Amino acid sequence: MNDSPAAKSRGSEPVPHDLVIVGAGPAALSAALYTSREDIDTVLFEKGAIGGLAAVTDWVDNYPGFEKGVAGLELSEQMRKQAERFGAKIELGEVQKIEDQGKLKKLTTTEGDIYAKAVLIATGSEYKKIGVPGEEEYYARGVHYCATCDGAFYRDKKLVVIGGGNSAAQEGLFLTKFASHIDMLVRSSLKASDVLIKELAKHKDKITIHLNTTTDEIVGQDGKVTKVVGTDKNSAQKVEFPTDGVFVFVGLLPNTKFIQGSGIELDERGFIKTDIHLMTKVPGIFCAGDVRSGATLQIASATGEGATAALMIREYLEVQERGPLPQAVVGHPQLYG
Amino acid sequence: MPKNITIYTTNTCSYCPMVKQYLKRKGLSYDEVNLEKHPEMQAEVFEKSGALTVPVTIVTKQDDSQDVVIGYNLARLAPAIA
Repeated sequence: MNDSPAAKSRGSEPVPHDLVIVGAGPAALSAALYTSREDIDTVLFEKGAIGGLAAVTDWVDNYPGFEKGVAGLELSEQMRKQAERFGAKIELGEVQKIEDQGKLKKLTTTEGDIYAKAVLIATGSEYKKIGVPGEEEYYARGVHYCATCDGAFYRDKKLVVIGGGNSAAQEGLFLTKFASHIDMLVRSSLKASDVLIKELAKHKDKITIHLNTTTDEIVGQDGKVTKVVGTDKNSAQKVEFPTDGVFVFVGLLPNTKFIQGSGIELDERGFIKTDIHLMTKVPGIFCAGDVRSGATLQIASATGEGATAALMIREYLEVQERGPLPQAVVGHPQLYG
Repeated sequence: MPKNITIYTTNTCSYCPMVKQYLKRKGLSYDEVNLEKHPEMQAEVFEKSGALTVPVTIVTKQDDSQDVVIGYNLARLAPAIA
C-alpha cells in the first residue's frame, strides 16, 4: 500500500495505468505528448533531471524549429509543458525493477509498486567515467561531469576538459565563459561536428587542443585538484597540465541497471535491443531514445523515436483490448501476430 | 517537518530546479542562495558539503541537526526532509 498518486487501486486489486514511461528525457516526453493526446493514461518516472542530458546541455543548435538554437534547459521545459498540457503526469522517483506478468507489467519504484499495460523505457544515458586514478577521489571537488552545473565555480581558473566529441566541444566552449584557459585532452582525433570544430578554432586563445593525448591520472594536493598527467602518444612522453578542475565528456553509458532479470535483451555494449517496432523481447515493453541499441544519440532522433514508440504502443494497447484485426487491415501485421 | 531548508544554486544548473520542484510537491518551503550572485558564499558551502558542485541542499531539522544533500539525489533528499 502506498499513497503515491501514480499507484492506483480498486480495493486490494491494483488498477494499471495504460502506459508507464521510465524516464522523462526528449524521447519520453515526445511519446507522452502523443499518448496523452490520445487519452492514453500516461505516467512518467524520472529520477534525474526532466529533459535528461538535453537539460544539462548548455546550448542546442541542431534541434529543428529553433533558427538561432535553444538552451537545453529551455527546450526541456517546453517539452515538459507540452506533454503535461495533454495530461501526462510526471512522478519524481526511480523505477528500480520491471517484472513481466503477462498482460500487466509490475514496476517497483521508490514511490511504491505500480502496474501498467505497456511500458516504454526511455532512460537515456549518462556520461561515462574515464576510470583513472584520482577521478573518484576528487569527484565534485575538482572532477565534474556537468559544465552547466559546476562551471561557475571556475571563474578565472584553469581547467582541463577531457574528450573530443560533440559534448566535450560544446561544454568546453561553454566553460570559456568562466575559465581563464582550458586544455582539451583528446585521446585520438576530434570527433565533434565541423561547426563545433570551427567554434573551437575561434576560441584558440582560450582553448588549447591536445590531440593523441591520453589522460592517465588526476593529481591533487590538500583536497584540491592540481594537475592532470597524460601521455602524448606521438612522442610517448608523459605530459602534465596544471589545473584547478577537470570536466569529463568521454562518451555515454546506457541507464539499464533496473532491467536486470526482466528478460529484456541488451546488445554487447549494454544498450536495449528492440525490433523494428521499438518493442523489446518482452511483449508490451518498448524502448526509445539514447538507451536503445542503434540509437543515433541526437535529441531530434530521440523525439522521433518517442513519437514512433507512442504509435506502436497505441496499436499494441488496441490489440490487447479488442484482439487482432484481420491481417488485411492491420498496419503492422508482424507486430503482435 | 524540517525547521529550514536552504538550496545553493547557480544560474544554469538544471538539477537545481528539480530539487525546488521536488520540495514544492512535498509542500515544503525553502530559501535559495544563488552562488553566482553570491560568490562570497562558495567557500562556506564547500566547507559544509565538501563538494564544489550544485545543487547543495542543507536541511535543518527541529533539533538543529543538519543534513547536507549534494546534487539532485532523491535517495538522500527524501529521508532528509521526512
